[in-house]
Amino acid sequence: MSSSEPAIEANAVTKEYDDVHAVDNLDLTVERGETYGFLGPNGAGKSTTIGLLLDYLRPTSGTVRVLGRDPRRDIVEVHDRVGVLPDRFGLYEGRSARQHVAFVAETKRDDDDPAVLLERVGLGDAVDDDAGDFSRGMEQRLALAMALVGDPELLVLDEPFSGLDPHGVRRVREIVHEENQRGATVFFSSHVLGQVELVCDRIGVLHEGQLVAEGTLDELRNRTASPDDATMEDVFVELTDARIDDEGERR
Amino acid sequence: MRWSPLARSEYRTVLTSKGAWILALLVVLWGFRPTYAGWDAVGRNITIGYIQIGVDLFLPIGALLLSYQSLIGERTTGSIKFLLGLPLTRTQVLFGKTTGRFVGVGTAIVAATLVLAGIGLLEHGTFGLLPFLGTLVATLLLASAMVAVGVFVSTVTRRTVTAATGVFAYFFVTLFWSRIVTSLYTAVTGIPVNPYDAPASGPLFLALRLTPDGAYNVLTNWFLDVGNSTELFHIVYTKLAPGVSVNAFVVEAAFDGGGPWYLHPALSLVVLLVWVVVPVALARRVFNRGDAL
Repeated sequence: MSSSEPAIEANAVTKEYDDVHAVDNLDLTVERGETYGFLGPNGAGKSTTIGLLLDYLRPTSGTVRVLGRDPRRDIVEVHDRVGVLPDRFGLYEGRSARQHVAFVAETKRDDDDPAVLLERVGLGDAVDDDAGDFSRGMEQRLALAMALVGDPELLVLDEPFSGLDPHGVRRVREIVHEENQRGATVFFSSHVLGQVELVCDRIGVLHEGQLVAEGTLDELRNRTASPDDATMEDVFVELTDARIDDEGERR
Repeated sequence: MRWSPLARSEYRTVLTSKGAWILALLVVLWGFRPTYAGWDAVGRNITIGYIQIGVDLFLPIGALLLSYQSLIGERTTGSIKFLLGLPLTRTQVLFGKTTGRFVGVGTAIVAATLVLAGIGLLEHGTFGLLPFLGTLVATLLLASAMVAVGVFVSTVTRRTVTAATGVFAYFFVTLFWSRIVTSLYTAVTGIPVNPYDAPASGPLFLALRLTPDGAYNVLTNWFLDVGNSTELFHIVYTKLAPGVSVNAFVVEAAFDGGGPWYLHPALSLVVLLVWVVVPVALARRVFNRGDAL
């Protein structure tokens, strides 16, 4: 049964561009029902990893499985069950928010009412407005509504908090929580540390294409010098700095 | 089909663009040119000739411009990340794009054709239904070939500038096609080509009719029954009229009898189909390979 398999499973995945390892021998497992925070500084390889999970990009080596399937061979089934909020996306100018959500719903053959989803992300009063005129925060909300179509089993959210005001951030956090309560696995990437610690069951820290630490917030805290009062920020800086120092010495 | 929402979205993109209707308008304005030569050539069927004149000049570049952005545009804005997140294979994405753009361009061009037919009906009276329908089919085939080329260009390039350069390169190569072919012919065989009195060379004439617009003219001239040539119908007629010298390549003028079998006008249907199938197949190959972003 595929439902007992992890939501996401990456084995020794490497993605090279020319000679640069954007993702370097990555092993990653996200269990069903988890809220997993994929944390790392800009350029760590988070979006590349997400691209590999969704078959936007193809790994140089290694294997990826999503919901027990091969995202390349079974792309229709995988994408049918996954909701995606991409990073640095663009919307279709001249199309309303409703048309954006309806487009996804029609392709997924789902009868979700776009207006209800848009209300849920806080765009209830902009349902029929041209998305080309949206502010950054509204774009982000619309993209989240598109990801929520069809109650996906897995939500892949790439930097879901970027461009949002505090109300928006809170709304997204609530939605992540609601979706997780419904039974969905949530995988999101972020470099906003505070959000990750508020939402996630488990956290993986990516640095220069490698997973340098993984665990619950407490487990990660214990790896730092002053575990008791360490914030997520301390943990993060310490973990990624240590790597940078290591490399400095190696050179 | 899974990709029909995508095709509908592409169709809407084309038909809500000004470009589609400028194309239709240009085809009508350029196509409608009553001439004595045209009337002498085909009589009331000159109405169908109007369609040939307008489509031959404007449809190829118009359809290309309406389709070359289809994928590269989404790459540039980043909306491709939503497109690729849909439950569609990459092949289905291409089919949806190509079909939707074709239906959009086809709708605009059929509208232009019907307007020209209406004008012709009022000006000259009824015309032959079969040659009209044949021309309509050939026009739609030309439209699909050009959309296929446009989507192909959009798929294999990574930047809008490159794609636009590709479109104009195609446009100029086909515009100067007969000059390119005759120069190559002379370079290879050493025989100079005088368009007023072209050598009876099968390969030369075949090469001239391998472009989509060349094949379109051959087909429509065949339906209009004026002669076997890639030129516009009234030029073909003038070339074949006794005592007139025109610089046009017409099979009947160069060959005694019909020329070799492979110059049969019906084979231009195959040429157009190849122009539909090959770009789509190549685009599919490229798009399915490696990274899609």
